[in-house]
Amino acid sequence: MSFYSNELTAILIVIFVGFLPNEVWRVFGVLFGRRIDENSLLMQWVRAVATALLAAVVARLVLVPSGALVALPLWLRLGAVAAGIAGFLTMRRSVLAGVLTAEAVLVIGAWWLGVG
Amino acid sequence: MPGFVLVATFIGFGGLMHDVGFPIVAGLLSTLLVWALPAQVILVGGLGAGTSLPALALAVCLSGVRLMPMVVALMPLMRGPRPRLWRELLCAHFVAVTLWVEGFRLLPGVPEPARPVYSCGLGVGLTTLSMVGTAFGFYLTNALPGPLAVALLLLTPISFTILLVRNARQAVDWLAIALGAAISPLVANSPGGLDLFWAGVGGGTLAFLLTRYGPRRRA
Repeated sequence: MSFYSNELTAILIVIFVGFLPNEVWRVFGVLFGRRIDENSLLMQWVRAVATALLAAVVARLVLVPSGALVALPLWLRLGAVAAGIAGFLTMRRSVLAGVLTAEAVLVIGAWWLGVG
Repeated sequence: MPGFVLVATFIGFGGLMHDVGFPIVAGLLSTLLVWALPAQVILVGGLGAGTSLPALALAVCLSGVRLMPMVVALMPLMRGPRPRLWRELLCAHFVAVTLWVEGFRLLPGVPEPARPVYSCGLGVGLTTLSMVGTAFGFYLTNALPGPLAVALLLLTPISFTILLVRNARQAVDWLAIALGAAISPLVANSPGGLDLFWAGVGGGTLAFLLTRYGPRRRA
C-alpha cells in the first residue's frame, strides 16, 4: 500500500517537477526558434546560471553526499574527481578516459582503505 | 563511444536513485520523459537532500534552458522537407547533449525526407539504452561489493565534472563553475530547501555580473 502511494507520488513529481519544467524549453525552441538571439544578455545570464547550477549539484554530491559515498574520506572523493579531470585533459580530452581514471582511483582507494 | 559513456552515466543515475530511495518506475519514467540527466540528478538528488518541490521545479527549469538553443540549432537538420508541428515536437523531445552531438555528425549524410524518422529512431534507441542502464544501475547496487558500489555513485558527479570542463570556453563559464561549486556546500541545508537556488542562481548571476561589469584585464 505505502509502496504504491510512494511510487505514484514519485511519478507525479517526475511529471510535474521534472518533465514539464524541462520540456517547456524544447517546445519553445520549436515554436520560437527563429526569433531567439542566442547571444542576448538574457541568454548569457541564463547559461551562466545553468552552468553554476550543474556545478552546485556536482559539488554537493561530492562534498556533502547523502548516501553510501559518505563512507569514503573527503580527500579520496576529491582526489578521484581531480584524477578524472587530469585524465580527461591529458588523454586527448576523452570523456571516457577521464571517467575511467577517476573510477580507478576511487575503487583502488576504497579497496585499500577497506571501506565502502 | 558516446553511447557507452551515456549508458554508463545512466547506470550511475540508477545507483543514485537506489541510494536515495527513489522508486524504480518513476525513475525509468524520468529517463523517458525528462531525458536530460542534469535535470534528473537535480530532481532525484534534491529530493534526497530534502529540497522543497517548488525550488526543485525552478532548478530543473533553469537547468533545461540549455536545451532550447540545441533544439533551435538542430531543428533545420531534423525537420525534413515537409515540416509538421507534432513531428518537430517529437524530434525536439529527444534533443539532449548526445543527440545534439551525434545529430550534427550523422544527419547531414541522411537523405532529407528520411531525417525526421532517422532522428526519432536514434532518439528512441538512445532512450531505450539509457532506460536499460537506469534499471541496471538500480538493481546492481545491491549485488556489487562495497568499493564497486561507491564507484557506481561517483559516475554521475565525475562525468558531469568532465562535461563542465569540456564545455567551458569563456571566463564566465569557469567563474560560474567555481562559484556554483563553492557556494553549494556553504548553503547546504539552508532553510526552505533553497540551497540549489542560492548556489545556482546566486553563483551564476555573480559570474555573469563579474565578467560583464567587474574589473577587466587589459588586452
